[in-house]
This record gives sequence, C-alpha cells and structure tokens, in this order.
Amino acid sequence: MIRILSLLATATVISFAGFAETAPSTSSLTVNLSGLSPQTGAVMIGVYAGEDDYENGGGITGATVEITADTATVTIEGLEPGAYGLKMYHDSNGNGQMDTNPFGMPTEPYAFSNNAKGRFGPAEWDSAAFQVTAGDNSHDIAFD
Amino acid sequence: MDFTRRTFLAGAGATAGLLAAPGAFAGPDVPGWQVGWTNAPASGYAPAPMRLISGALPDEFEGSLYRNGPAWFRYGDDYTGHWFDGDGMVQRIAFGNGKAVHSGQFVQTHKHKAEQEAQKFLATGFGTAGDPSYSIMAVDDVNAANTAILSANGDLFALWEAGSAMQIDPATLETIGPKTWSDDLKGMPFLAHPKVEPNGRIWNIASSGQILGIYDIAPGGKVDRFEIVDIGKTAYLHDWAMSERHLILLVQPWIQTRSLPPFVNSLEWRPEEGLQILIIDKDDLSSRRWVEAPAFSFYHTGTACEDADGTLHIDAVLYDEPILGEGGATGLMAGHFNPAVDQHEGYLSRISVSPDGKTRIDRTSVDGEFPAVHPGYMGQNCRLTAVVGGHAPGRPIATTVTVFDWHTGTADNFNFGPDRMVEEHVMVPKPGRTGEDDAWLVGTVLNIRTQSSEVHIFDAKHISSGPLASFSADYSWPLGFHGAFVSS
Repeated sequence: MIRILSLLATATVISFAGFAETAPSTSSLTVNLSGLSPQTGAVMIGVYAGEDDYENGGGITGATVEITADTATVTIEGLEPGAYGLKMYHDSNGNGQMDTNPFGMPTEPYAFSNNAKGRFGPAEWDSAAFQVTAGDNSHDIAFD
Repeated sequence: MDFTRRTFLAGAGATAGLLAAPGAFAGPDVPGWQVGWTNAPASGYAPAPMRLISGALPDEFEGSLYRNGPAWFRYGDDYTGHWFDGDGMVQRIAFGNGKAVHSGQFVQTHKHKAEQEAQKFLATGFGTAGDPSYSIMAVDDVNAANTAILSANGDLFALWEAGSAMQIDPATLETIGPKTWSDDLKGMPFLAHPKVEPNGRIWNIASSGQILGIYDIAPGGKVDRFEIVDIGKTAYLHDWAMSERHLILLVQPWIQTRSLPPFVNSLEWRPEEGLQILIIDKDDLSSRRWVEAPAFSFYHTGTACEDADGTLHIDAVLYDEPILGEGGATGLMAGHFNPAVDQHEGYLSRISVSPDGKTRIDRTSVDGEFPAVHPGYMGQNCRLTAVVGGHAPGRPIATTVTVFDWHTGTADNFNFGPDRMVEEHVMVPKPGRTGEDDAWLVGTVLNIRTQSSEVHIFDAKHISSGPLASFSADYSWPLGFHGAFVSS
C-alpha cells in the first residue's frame, strides 16, 4: 500500500501551463459537468490535442467554469477536428490551484475525458482520448 | 489452568453448537479450523443473542466489544492473495443485563462494493496483485478497512494500514464513510494503531514508506499538529509506541525494494541494517533522536513508559525474522496450513533505551501476539501486558491467554486447549477502580469442534482461574485482528 501512495502522489496532480492561442476553426466542444460538490469555486479544464500533448504537454487551450450548482456547462470554441483529451479539477475553494494533502494527493475532485479512471495516476491517453469532429461536439463528465 | 479440563464448559458448548448448527462442519478435505477464513454473509449478521455457557457476566460489565477483521476471502474458486486482504467486517458483542448479543456488518468500502458488484477480486493489496483494469485514483480505492477499531468521542472507526479511517455507526454498524480529520488532510492514511492517551488525545501515523506524517489530535477531534517525518527507508511499519513524553518509531529492516504489486513481494529482510529506533519529543516534534538495536521484526507493540532517569522502555512482540510475509498466510483461506511460513514464535519483549542511547532487549519466555494494556495506563506505566499465544498441532492461531507482570516476571495464563482458536483479548477497566490490574480481559475464541464463535471475560487478576463468563454464538464468524471495548 505504501507503494500506491508514492505513485499517486507524484502522478495525479494536475497543473496547466499557459495555453497558446489557437487559430479560428469550425469545431466547438461543449463540456457538460455533473455531480459537482461543493457548489462553489470553479472547474478548471485543460484541453490536450493528441497523445503527446496529453502525456507530456501543457494543453492547447482551457476553460474556467464558475460553479454555482451541481451541474455546469462550458463551450470551448476554435478546435481543429481531431483526437483530444481533457483533464480537469474542481477548484472548490477558488484558490486557483489543485490542493493536495501533505503526501501530494489531490484533496479536490478531478476528472478526465470519457470519465476515464487512472491506476496509480492520471487516466491514460488510450482511455481518455475522444474525437472532435467538424461542427458542434459535446462531452459529459460526471464528478460523482 | 487448562480449559480442556473444564469439561462442563466444553461439553455445554459442544452440545449446543452441534444442535444449533448441523452441517456447519467443513467437508472431509477441509480442516475444521478453516471456518475462521470462510466468507461471512454479505448481508452481515443481524443482532442475535449468544448463549451463556458458563459463569455469569459481572454486573458492572456493560458496553460493547467491537472487533475488526477480514471476512471475505473467496469469489468462486478464487481466493484472496493474503489473509490481510479480505474485506473488513466489524463485529459487535453488546453486553448488559447479564447478556451478550452479537452483530456484524461489512465495512462498505469502495473496494468491497466494487468487488461485490463484480463478484471478483479487483483491488491490489498486501498480498494480492489485483485486476489491472481496476481504477486506483486514491488510497481509499484499495482500503480494506479490516484491521482495527478506534473509539473516540463517541464515534467509531474501522482502521486499515494505508487508507482513511472509515467511520461506522456504533449502534447499527452501518458505514458512514471515510473520516477527514481536517480539510487539508483529506485522503491521508491513518494507521491501524493510533495511540490514545488516558485523557483522550490521539496520536497516530500516516504511513507512506520513507515519509511519514504524525497526527496529534486533541480530545474532541481537532487536529492540533500534523508533522512530516523522514525515517530514511521504506520500512514496513504496522505499529509503533508512545510513552508519556515520547513517540517511538521502531524502524525494522524489512524494506520495500520495488513498486510492483503485491506489496509483500517487494519486502526484503536486511538484518544487517539493525533495528533503528526514532524517538520524538511530543512537546517538540522536531526534537528527534535515533538509537539502534539488533535486528528484530515485529508487528505489534504493547506500550512504552519512562523511568525517572529518562530510561525509555518499549514493549513489543519480537520475532527473529518477519512472519506472514512472502508465502505466509496465503493458503489459510483454502485450509492449507504450513507451519514453516504461517507460524513463528514471537516473544513478548522489552526494549530499553538508556539516556546515553544504549539499548537493551529483554525477551521473555512468553510467546504470544496482540499485546494489550489497560487503556488508562497507555504510555504511563509498563506493568501488565496481555497477549495470546501458544500453538496447537496442525492448525494456526493461539491457544492461550496470558497476562504478564513485568514487575514480578510472572505469567498468569489460561490454556483453552487445542479445539479453540484464541483471538486478541483486550483490557477493560473496572468502573470506579483505578489500579492497573483492576480490569477485566475480554476476547473472542473460535471453537473448532462446535464451529461456533465464543466470547470470554476474565478477571485480569486471576486469569488462570478461567473465565468469569463465557458465551457462545450458534454460528461462527471469521477470525479477526484487533478490537476495542467501549463502555456503556
């Protein structure tokens, strides 16, 4: 069990680098969030284009969604059609960071696209990847 | 005294058990003792009176013995990889008005619920590799909540080694959920062996290999301090000790060497590294000193205390090498007993550390486990330690209850005989009395012959006289690890 802790501690913290500006495109992605508790703060969403960006990069764009109910919706515009992954956390106390306990384990809820779950760390690309097609797309995330 | 000579009791229990539970015996290829590792009903045990089979319950003996232990071992033909990985079930025996009533419920952990739904083992554990498809995003996803009980401020908790304390309703045994002691400590491990001062202050360890955390929780539940400690190596740490002024970590040289499940296979015994002892000042957690002793392995301590000159004494059950490690306690669920790996003798021992840092280890001839002390003397005095020990041929688990007096060097014991598997016995202070020996000893026993679980109450001053009162259920429940008595 000791092993699990050490792996989780270093692997599950989600942080987002500054996002580069993206060129206008025809695709949009609406993210529908549910199961949010407490109903405070914001959900910080990182959008990753392709496996390399998801595993190693800082994301191509992102969104911040203020939370006032147990559901919330945000639409991210300007995406090129292709394979994407999402990482997000619920910054429930609004301090702008993903809080962790003294062993580095997240103390705020977090989620990945496809509602994918991790094993000793973040969900892997293969389980989190989804396709954004031309036009409007939607994606449901359950935090509970 | 030998319980086998108490024919009135053995006869009463055997007859009643046989009549009440026909067909409960294991098949011809499965030894009778295996019943201790048989799945409990998933729906638990509804409250059921136990039968008084000898003696009488002392009038003032009122309260509940809560015990915790693994109680789910098998899905179809698939057994859990290690005894330590069975899902926790809290047993309660409520005493009062001369009666005893048993009930039991599984702790509804994430692991238990997921595995019951899938009807197979999923989570990795101490000796279980787990299903690679099982999501593990937090320590409580693999929390078995199967090791010990903590009662604090009227609340009850089922404890494990490396996950949150799971809060349990003390009356119904329904699971309330993981305990968050403070928001910033959410999801921190809470070791199965917290140390509770007589005034109610709780000290405990958050274990994560080389880096530990120390909880200092005030009476009432507020976390006064949480401090990180680096013990220098990823040693296996199941228990520790507390004296009036110090916290003592025994860093045994049983070291995690790799990060592949199951955990036990990653442990390596390195006796050349010795037993390193970290002594931390309770008043100033940054004040720490190390001393060293010859290598011993251990699971459990009793208590610790200090002489006027500063000499520190730590009581523990010490083994020459690790037990129930790789290869140990893996076959018991299927009825396979291998004394070479399932049974080693640990001896009640005292580690003394003089003010100049010199250490001395005195091993008594009392073999046993599950050391227990008077809760009113935890960390204050080191006179009486209760253990259960002894062996019966061809089967695991103890036969004998012993109270050892460190002042006189005498052991007062009672042998239940080969038909009874003896579990941890805990000390229960007598109301209105203050002496260290003004206590009862209460614990459970699994009667192999009648296939029924029993509970026995002794006077701590007169163990060899036998139980003051003994009750039997009409059925058995799985063997457990640790318990706590909560007075009414």
